[in-house]
Amino acid sequence: MSEANPDGGRRFRRTLVSVMAVQVVTLVVLWLLQRRYTP
Amino acid sequence: MHPLNWVIVVGWLTYVVTHGLRRSKGTKGIDGYFLANRSLPWWAVGLSVMATQLSAVTMIGTTGQGATDGMRFIQFYFGLPIAMVILGVTLVPFLHGARVYTAYEYLERRFDAKTRSLTAFLFLISRAMSCGTIIAAPAVVFSAIFGWPVAWSVALIGVPAVLYTMVGGVQAVTWVDVKQMYLIVGALLAVVITLIVQIPVSPGEALHIAGAAGRLKVFDFSFSLTNTYTFWSGLIGGTFLMLSYFGTDQSQVQRYLAAKSVDEARTSLLISAYWKIPLQALVLLVGVLVFVFYQFQRPPLLFNPAHERRVRAMEPSVYGALEARYAAGLTVRDTAARMVAAADDRGDAPGALAAMTTLKASDDSVSVVRTEALALAQRVTGQPSKDVNYIIPRFVLDYLPIGLAGVFIAAVIAAAMNAISGELNSLSTTTVIDFYRRWIRSEAPDEHFLRVSRAATGLWGVFACVVATYAVNLGSLIEVVNRFGSFFYGSILGVFLLAMISRARASGAFIGLLVGMAAVGAVNFGAPSVSFLWHNVIGAVTVLVVGLLVSTFSPAPASDRLV
Repeated sequence: MSEANPDGGRRFRRTLVSVMAVQVVTLVVLWLLQRRYTP
Repeated sequence: MHPLNWVIVVGWLTYVVTHGLRRSKGTKGIDGYFLANRSLPWWAVGLSVMATQLSAVTMIGTTGQGATDGMRFIQFYFGLPIAMVILGVTLVPFLHGARVYTAYEYLERRFDAKTRSLTAFLFLISRAMSCGTIIAAPAVVFSAIFGWPVAWSVALIGVPAVLYTMVGGVQAVTWVDVKQMYLIVGALLAVVITLIVQIPVSPGEALHIAGAAGRLKVFDFSFSLTNTYTFWSGLIGGTFLMLSYFGTDQSQVQRYLAAKSVDEARTSLLISAYWKIPLQALVLLVGVLVFVFYQFQRPPLLFNPAHERRVRAMEPSVYGALEARYAAGLTVRDTAARMVAAADDRGDAPGALAAMTTLKASDDSVSVVRTEALALAQRVTGQPSKDVNYIIPRFVLDYLPIGLAGVFIAAVIAAAMNAISGELNSLSTTTVIDFYRRWIRSEAPDEHFLRVSRAATGLWGVFACVVATYAVNLGSLIEVVNRFGSFFYGSILGVFLLAMISRARASGAFIGLLVGMAAVGAVNFGAPSVSFLWHNVIGAVTVLVVGLLVSTFSPAPASDRLV
């Protein structure tokens, strides 16, 4: 099995953090939309 | 449709086919045809995986769902980022490191040939029919709107995709996907901007109107096994569904197997998850804004023009009575929508709340009349009414400026082509690697396998187009096949999870797979109200439990190993 190299591992972790951040921001925006505009 | 729109559609299709064929120049041998010689950069693979998900069904069906049902469908995708992370640290390193062409090839190394063949066979059946369905959905809509035979629409979508996929393999598929993603996202953004300009109230007032009618209710935290669109079914059931789909379905697995390295394969999966939820929110928002638009413009009672013509001809008095009730309901709803906007504009919160209540009640009344009209259409035409799929195309052709309508139609065709090109390539891969090379002819020059692979792509393409052409008549059969697919997705995931447990044996995997599918079948027929999102959980857990149990009592063969 091929091993992940350290640089690739760091890029994976950086991408993971930014992906999860985008999802959290999107969910917060959707939550605020619901709260603001749904009676 | 205006000739300029057709120029845009034909021009785009010509560009895409030419670009795809140009990309095929580097395709030599099956390593190049199926895996692009493992040379694809992570961002291209990521965009390509995203493109495969954004099919024509999303462009016309999900947007329509946003108009009729609102944003809650987005909960379906909450499990996707979690699934991508799990796959990135578990299955992707296994599969990429195993240097296999297909996910099922790995199963023979880990377990045995019969497990490989059964899972590959199940993939071929479900994916081939799914390919036909993906072409059929927009083709049927186009034929109803433009008045063409379905076969013409099928040809418009299927022929270019089959051509560049057959010649260029995964290189052509991936790089065409990347280009088409720009068109699709651009078209969606352009429609949103057009809607904001054309809706005669401010964006804030438009959102108040949408919210009053329940179209902005995203989150449902109730726990219900029978309701598909809840936070928990999306998070738990959706995670298992996405693990199955991206971890075990060859049409997705093949993309990241083509990445340059394990790290790029993992990163490509994450990138495909990056914009998934925001993009789905955009798609649903298009539908929500179209709903708001139709508060101020009279919408048709039936959006499918073919159905409308038939019903008007066969039941003129019944349809006329429904239209009269519909018009009266729309007048009340129109007034309520304007009252919401006016109250919001002057900052009158109690007034806005009262107007919202009136709007919701009038919208419900209008929905009742629509439901009766849809039932009438189904009775008269003998076809299931899929009117929701016609809402956006009718809006695009009736109200979008000339040129922009052509861009959107081209984007719908692009989305369909993206979805089927990847599926055709993976169907060919599994056919050649898991069956032809495995069982019929294991030794031959690479050029021979390349020729067979291209022929397999072409044949599956023809099969998909034939299924699409007769989809209307096959209606219930396609539904049966899609339900059949839901029986084994979770179970196949269970087999791959077993593969990562060292004490799991081949007999456990095979028997577990059969029992898993039987368990899902029992739930499907015995408790049909249980949402299909839970089927994957049931299948995967059953396979794991039964597989480990059977493995406990099975002798360990010498050749069992993790990789």
